[in-house]
Amino acid sequence: MTNELTTWLDTLLAELDGIEVRRTSRRRLRVEVASDALPALLELLRGRASFVHLSAISCVDWIDAGQFELVYHCWSYEIQSLVSVHTRIPREPGVYISVYDIYTPAAFFERDIHEMFGVWFEGSPDLSRFILTEWDGPPPMRKDFDSEAWVNQHFGWQDYHPDWLKDLEARGGGIAVPPNEQRFSRRTVDET
Amino acid sequence: MRPENYEAQRQPPSYDYELNIGPNHPGIEGNYAFKLRLNGDRVIAGRADAGYLHRGFEKLMEGRLWIQNLAITPRICVPDPVPMEVSYCLAVEDLCGLVVPERAQWLRVMQLELSRIAAHLFIFGGHAATTGMYTPMFWGIADRDLILDLFEEMTGGRVYHIYNIPGGVRRDLPDGFGERVTNTLDYLESRLPDYDNLLFTNQVFVHRARGCGPISQQQALEWGVTGPNLRATGLKFDVRRDDPYLVYDQLEFEIPTEAPGDAWARALVRRREIKESIRIIRQVVARLPTLAGPIRCPIPNPLAWNVPAGSTYTRVESSKGELAWYVVSDGGERPYRTHVRGPSQMHAVQVLEQLAIGCRIEDVAQIMFSLDACPPEVDR
Amino acid sequence: MTHIDQVPTPGAPLPVEIGVKAGAARTNPFARVFDELVRFAQSRSLFMLHYCTGCGAVELPPAMTSRFDMERLGIQPMVSPRQADILLITGYVSVKTLKRVILTYEQMNSPKYVIGICSCTVNGGMYWQSYATAKKLNDYMPVDIYIAGCMPRPEAVIEGLRGLIENIRTGRADAWKDYYRRYDYYLGNQQRLFGADWQTSTDVIAEARHYDLFGPATLGAHTALLEQHQRPLEALEMRIEIPELMRRRSRSDQDGTAQ
Repeated sequence: MTNELTTWLDTLLAELDGIEVRRTSRRRLRVEVASDALPALLELLRGRASFVHLSAISCVDWIDAGQFELVYHCWSYEIQSLVSVHTRIPREPGVYISVYDIYTPAAFFERDIHEMFGVWFEGSPDLSRFILTEWDGPPPMRKDFDSEAWVNQHFGWQDYHPDWLKDLEARGGGIAVPPNEQRFSRRTVDET
Repeated sequence: MRPENYEAQRQPPSYDYELNIGPNHPGIEGNYAFKLRLNGDRVIAGRADAGYLHRGFEKLMEGRLWIQNLAITPRICVPDPVPMEVSYCLAVEDLCGLVVPERAQWLRVMQLELSRIAAHLFIFGGHAATTGMYTPMFWGIADRDLILDLFEEMTGGRVYHIYNIPGGVRRDLPDGFGERVTNTLDYLESRLPDYDNLLFTNQVFVHRARGCGPISQQQALEWGVTGPNLRATGLKFDVRRDDPYLVYDQLEFEIPTEAPGDAWARALVRRREIKESIRIIRQVVARLPTLAGPIRCPIPNPLAWNVPAGSTYTRVESSKGELAWYVVSDGGERPYRTHVRGPSQMHAVQVLEQLAIGCRIEDVAQIMFSLDACPPEVDR
Repeated sequence: MTHIDQVPTPGAPLPVEIGVKAGAARTNPFARVFDELVRFAQSRSLFMLHYCTGCGAVELPPAMTSRFDMERLGIQPMVSPRQADILLITGYVSVKTLKRVILTYEQMNSPKYVIGICSCTVNGGMYWQSYATAKKLNDYMPVDIYIAGCMPRPEAVIEGLRGLIENIRTGRADAWKDYYRRYDYYLGNQQRLFGADWQTSTDVIAEARHYDLFGPATLGAHTALLEQHQRPLEALEMRIEIPELMRRRSRSDQDGTAQ
């Protein structure tokens, strides 16, 4: 099994420049590749090395570097090994190419990433809204989207400091929480 | 007389129409919607509509400590929550380089397999109910409750356990627990022939399920089908054996496969997996007394725990298929990014849309239940 | 969709005088007996809408089937909202679900009861910082009983339902009236979340008049906004056309005009 994998790796390295391969454990391989070489690499993986199963596509928002990292996890039923192909694309404008023609399951993951991160995949069969059909905010999984601020703006909190409790506290009972330490109670109502 | 020969067949053809199944519909599994385009009662096209259970887990987890996230991971898949917490723990352990004591690994296997049986019994009842038979549903849910009682004794929770923490498990088994597990397993095993008599040899069920929603092996590989649905097409693949985690490489178990790939084969694979899981738990119960030692390794102060930077992809076999977490740490006390890959993300969307084409309207619910689609996994 | 700033924030709940109107004084001496009988019958025959909104729904099958057996209390699942009495909100409601829940709630016939199961319906639960789930169910519809827990056990669910039965029997379960009396408040919260052009297919104000529950807080700034944006409800067009039927119908029309 290991021999097979190494021979395959050698041929792969010979065919593609600029990729960095690191074995992280017995069945895990981490490959870093430039974004323009990724479709060719996946084509190779699927066509020649029996990596027919696309397990997932993950997207990571590296906001400080101004980049999105896309990770393609491919599994081979024969070699029994998982290759994670990492690539980075610029955060703006966030456009990349679809791998739907290589892996059919990519359609779901690309639609999901488009919805959650706002990355556009050229050539993906359907990038219409799926989960967030009734959402008018920015893509929520981006690092610059503040979920807590959104919640404070749109939802009311359960009142943990009702009037009857204040009466109790005035008489020395209850759960005395100073008003400046009340995290959510009446905060939105007071502000607006 | 076959339905094709009814009088209605000679009526002039009507136009296509659209029908929404769900989110409020007894034929749909959970809070999920499926839009159908129909001609008569023949489905022309189907379109999944998810998001009713969206909570933004991946965003929530970025805002919480590593140890806090344990509490929300099982909520991603409600009928089978244990693989979620185990795979998340495996990911954190992988990033930190923690070595889990052997006893904890065996305890995890026991919990995973009990959860698998519970989930299979649940879906067994649901699948039977979509073909109009409600007795198996009552039986399946009642027998599942016996496992939930075991969970309650073992972990303290009926449905959500949060039994695993990175580095081990929270507590050891109570006294005499192995005996009670064996009793329950004996009972469940004695029930399996009853299930066969009630459902799997029932001609109503056989005729409804045979040939319903067939997937060929090539299609399964192309569409990313995993788990029992993949094994029902004849491919002998199981993450437990082929990408082993915990102590599955020390256990003896078969991987049941069936050739036809239809709803019938998928139900039968699950039925046979229950038996294999019982076999695994018996081995664990026999092995546990010989394993003394700690149930968790020391971890840093969980409230100020900086996990080393890096990324990992951990996979486990849940009752529905391949479940994976991609966890990225930037060395901080919160995950930088977590991504969960649930098996239903394929089964409930693309595969269901493909299989619905050409089937009859009453089979849509059966196809969905036979695929064991879990909507909260899709929505997250 | 209108921007959030254009939607007025709902004010504090108005003190509304609740009670039987003066004109509705009972004259029939047996009215009280009859009311009690009706309430008793209502409390023992409850149909629960089969809508699994969240994870708490996984504890309902055990509660409904043989082990805990809700049916011995006279509670059965019902598939259509028109025939249902109880709306169980089993867990967190995402914004997308909440729209459907409100549509469902308005379609149910009065008297109707809402039970919020799980902590998430009380205060958002562990999803307090989630952008997608509503935090407080009783902002959007009146809730009769909350059952806290994550998730509550079947025993707790049944205990909550028994509490509801007791409330119905003694006539205290009247939260549904609050929806008509303070429709403006609830509509305001809905508009704040869904946008100013939010509209359901049920005419709640007319229903409030029908049930004699129209009060000073039924109308307000938010219902005015609703009327401003409201599109009149149109009858659904029948799109399935069968040529032979059409021909027959046109022939009978001609016959009618000829005579």
